[in-house]
Amino acid sequence: MFQQMNIQQNFPEYNIPGKQHHDFSPYESNGGSIVAIAGKGYAIIAADTRLSSGYSIHTRKQKKTFKLTDTTVLGSTGCWCDTLSLTSLLAYRMQSYVHTHQKTMSTNAIAQLISVMMYNKRFFPYYVSNVLAGLDEEGNGVVYSYDPIGHCEKTTYRAGGTAGALLQPVLDNQIGYKNQNLAEKPEITKEKAISIATDTFISASERDIYTGDSVVICIITKDGIEEKTVQLRKD
Amino acid sequence: MFLTRSEYDRGVNTFSPEGRLFQVEYAIEAIKLGSTVIGICTKEGVVLAAEKRITSPLMVPSTVEKIVEVDKHIGCATSGLMADARTLIERARVECQSHWFNYNEKMSIESCAQAVSTLAIQFGDSDSGGSAMSRPFGVAILFAGIDNGQPQLWHMDPSGTYIRYGAKAIGSGSEGAQQNLQDNFTTEMTIKDALNLSLTTLKQVMEEKLSSTNVEVMTMTPDGLYRMFTKAEVEEIITGLD
Repeated sequence: MFQQMNIQQNFPEYNIPGKQHHDFSPYESNGGSIVAIAGKGYAIIAADTRLSSGYSIHTRKQKKTFKLTDTTVLGSTGCWCDTLSLTSLLAYRMQSYVHTHQKTMSTNAIAQLISVMMYNKRFFPYYVSNVLAGLDEEGNGVVYSYDPIGHCEKTTYRAGGTAGALLQPVLDNQIGYKNQNLAEKPEITKEKAISIATDTFISASERDIYTGDSVVICIITKDGIEEKTVQLRKD
Repeated sequence: MFLTRSEYDRGVNTFSPEGRLFQVEYAIEAIKLGSTVIGICTKEGVVLAAEKRITSPLMVPSTVEKIVEVDKHIGCATSGLMADARTLIERARVECQSHWFNYNEKMSIESCAQAVSTLAIQFGDSDSGGSAMSRPFGVAILFAGIDNGQPQLWHMDPSGTYIRYGAKAIGSGSEGAQQNLQDNFTTEMTIKDALNLSLTTLKQVMEEKLSSTNVEVMTMTPDGLYRMFTKAEVEEIITGLD
């Protein structure tokens, strides 16, 4: 009845009366970048502390690294509310695991769990860029990176977040020795990894408006997790 | 046997005034009607040996499955009602796969036993609450597995209690067999010693004459994992016994 009346009044046929269209967008990019590097006996993961939305900055001191166990740290950026939701659900799942299986989760197990949790929201994904760094069973560093729907890749270094595309080629060259004609490709030491990670963030904050303020670097070794903060551009 | 037996032995959800659940106790008694199964855990691996009751010469012995694989690193042997055992084994298998899917690691033997015990105690009269069974399962299970490269043996009974053992016997001959295991088991045993001890013990408690058709043998080792012995291999061990 209504519809026919509307058509006669030359309403566009796709405009169904009674139905209201809201411009609800469930996602927001709050920016931030992550860099993780793994080596023999260590893994480092760094993330900047700027949380923004468009041209506004919410805060300059939001840590984006989450200490999950004594040997595992997750870096998560993207839609900050999704990061919070994902990490609190993860904390719950990990605590359940401890109670059910009487042991803390290995980095490998956490990596798989995150993948499953992300894929469980395949059709309304967490809008996050995750990088997981930690030590494996032998005490050597491992890095796992994810796409927003949970595909997991094990690597030795990875950049993610808003400046991910900016940082990754630098890491490819400096850590992976890509496109360098070198006779020797020496192993990256912990100190070298920390300095490269710091440098990439200094460079990223020059070009990416969503990355800056300061960078928190988590250094994971068998002796525990050490945290370092380096100041970045604040403009 | 149960002097205080009364109307309290009817419902599975009613404690007797002495604080007992008779149906659960009867289920444990039901295991003692089952065939004998022996598990021995050594540093080299776990041995499971099970008696198969061949009740008719027309029966095909290979279709009686007392020892089954749960996952590559977990095997189990059951005694009691075989049909009930199937349900529990199915749960064990599903839980192991689910654990692998969620955590990309092998499930520990204890966690597997815990998962099965969760199902084993889901009995009751109520039709809501997701109870799968109206009565307790009449099954005891021995889990043999490798956890972090270490062999382990676990036992679970119808009350859902699961305990780790060095050596354990269940089924009709369990009392005699358990005594024999207690006298002869040492933590220093080799897997070969364990194979011999398990079969000599079975030989002692079985009514039928021990042969390669009425016994099943399996080993669980850190390298070979689940390995079922062939008829010929069982034959070889039996002829090697004193």
